[in-house]
Amino acid sequence: MELVEKLSILSAAAKYDVSCSSSGSNRKNKPGGLGNAAASGICHSWSQDGRCISLLKILQTNYCVYDCAYCVNRVSNDLPRATFTPEEVADLTINFYRRNYIEGLFLSSAIWPNPNQTMEALLRTVKLLRNQHRFNGYIHVKAIPGADWRLIAETGTLVDRMSVNIELPTSESLKLLAPQKKRDNILQPMKLIGSQIVETQEERKRSRKVPSFVPAGQSTQLIIGATPDTDLRILQLAESLYRQVHLKRVYYSAYVPVSTNPRLPALAAPPLHREHRLYQADWLLRFYGFEAKELLNEANPNFHLQLDPKSDWALRNLHMFPLEVNKADYRFLLRVPGIGVRSAQRIITARRFHSLDFTDLQKMGVVMKRARYFLTCKGKYYGQVPYREETIKEQLLAQPKGKENFTQLSLFSDFDNQYPVQDAISSITGEL
Amino acid sequence: MVIFLYDGSFEGLLTAIYEAYYRQPRPEQIMTQREYQPDLFSQPIIIESDPEKAGKVYRAIEQKISREALEHIYYVFLSELPGAGTLIFHYLQLGWRLGGDINGHLAVEPVRQVLKISQRVGLERHRMLGLLRFQKINGQGEGALYYAAFEPDYNILELIAPHFSRRLADQNWIIHDVKRKLAAFYNQKEWVIGELPAVGQLNWAENEAFYQELWQRYFERIAVEGRTNRKLQRQYMPVRYWRHLIEKPGKH
Ligand code: SF4
Repeated sequence: MELVEKLSILSAAAKYDVSCSSSGSNRKNKPGGLGNAAASGICHSWSQDGRCISLLKILQTNYCVYDCAYCVNRVSNDLPRATFTPEEVADLTINFYRRNYIEGLFLSSAIWPNPNQTMEALLRTVKLLRNQHRFNGYIHVKAIPGADWRLIAETGTLVDRMSVNIELPTSESLKLLAPQKKRDNILQPMKLIGSQIVETQEERKRSRKVPSFVPAGQSTQLIIGATPDTDLRILQLAESLYRQVHLKRVYYSAYVPVSTNPRLPALAAPPLHREHRLYQADWLLRFYGFEAKELLNEANPNFHLQLDPKSDWALRNLHMFPLEVNKADYRFLLRVPGIGVRSAQRIITARRFHSLDFTDLQKMGVVMKRARYFLTCKGKYYGQVPYREETIKEQLLAQPKGKENFTQLSLFSDFDNQYPVQDAISSITGEL
Repeated sequence: MVIFLYDGSFEGLLTAIYEAYYRQPRPEQIMTQREYQPDLFSQPIIIESDPEKAGKVYRAIEQKISREALEHIYYVFLSELPGAGTLIFHYLQLGWRLGGDINGHLAVEPVRQVLKISQRVGLERHRMLGLLRFQKINGQGEGALYYAAFEPDYNILELIAPHFSRRLADQNWIIHDVKRKLAAFYNQKEWVIGELPAVGQLNWAENEAFYQELWQRYFERIAVEGRTNRKLQRQYMPVRYWRHLIEKPGKH
């Protein structure tokens, strides 16, 4: 088969994996070598769906022995199949990289013919790139659940990031849609990778000679909307992954209907709106000091579709507001709807020199159409409606929604409207 | 109105700032000779670049204000925006008074302007690290050569060259700012900037067309149909940069 055709098949097969980040690693080039990794990550293009292309994202093979209902590559699906040789993947990566099309490689694979042999093929490709081609660019590889730990561990010493996809948040959902996958099989390598990362970091503090292990951390992906799992379940899972397994990122992927299996819900379109809310909540967990249980509970297990999670939370906690912008702690400023990490930092810096009023805040990138109800500036309240949940909610809901794009990357424009592009970049790099 | 005119180099600008303190009458504006348009009321004074005076100002900024301030004004200088010289002058006037704290004064107009422009130049630099596209062309003898053309809004060539000299260290390359007829040349050891007029038809290396086709195919296939969002695509990747992209999003 021609390489062009293989690339078509194996990139289309990989496109539902949403991880695109190339950040978090600052691998340096070596003399005579090719490539390095920029710690902040670099986007090289944006595809027609508006998503950043930073890595060559492909599958080693799309032949699969499993039959996960939500997946195009499942064994029972009739579609063209292809397999790359390790040489082909390495050649593509090197040639794309030399032309500055990409930041590196994101290599995943369907399971063929079993987890060990799949993992071996991935490892061979990575070894070829690092050892033969002296490639020092970014590499993200999937760890295959069920593969021998020695194979995964060796791969980990060569790559920048590893991920194991959880896909479905509960055992019941897995049983229903991915019967060959076991939750423990997925979580176990994640835990091992996590502890190996921590251990290696400790050792490297003592001696730089110790080879790095997955320096950009590990991530995972969850599919949203293919099962009845609530936002609360999903967010709690994400929270425990961040806190207990030290995951760098959890990616959420709205289920794109790819088959008409009776076990799957009939969706007209991917639930992008819900995905968007989960991303917002995810940032709140990682950078704004929120806990999952503050945002959702059993009585309210799903996010409000018209209100962003922070506004929703603030409305339910009006007793904590309004905050005086010239006095409030950084931690509390971050909890004000319309104030992002950047604008909170700007406020802290600027108010050392003079006290801030309404127009100063506007200039600093605070989204006043949301923040005004939760703040006072020099003691004055600018909310213009009575300070009650219903009236404020009415105002917030009345705001035009045109600006919101329900995709992962437009998230920041929602938090920090004044600086959409800059923040777009930071949302891609995962830096705030 | 007294206007100091400098030659367009950073050194020239710093010399003009030096003279603004030691020479009477004091200028109200500082601009490049190219930028200046004569009118009845202005009184232009041409300032000759002087490395020594420029060096003094440079070190004074570093020591009395901050390294960061120096970087910001350099980025503003590279923006080539009208009024950049005067803005830098006003910012530095404040800087001598406020010292290292200057960038905290976000409510002060020149500070905000400088930070905003510097941020925009920084953003374009960052974008170009990703959007620049090299094409492999046949070089003489041994060395194939990779060539990249671009037309940035700001004069960022020297801000991106170091990145590629570290990253694509083992290949020869040229990065060509077509708009300004400038290019960075790299020979696997060091890079220099020189003039380069428009280049004609490129003589591609053997496999170049093949990899371009592969990249175009990849670009098409990686988009998820149910999620098409051209507006977002254009927001992150402004159309004015598409001319030099191999994948040319508009074509699909
Ligand atoms: S194992 Fe992976 S590739 Fe195979 S069907 Fe399941 S999700 Fe798809």
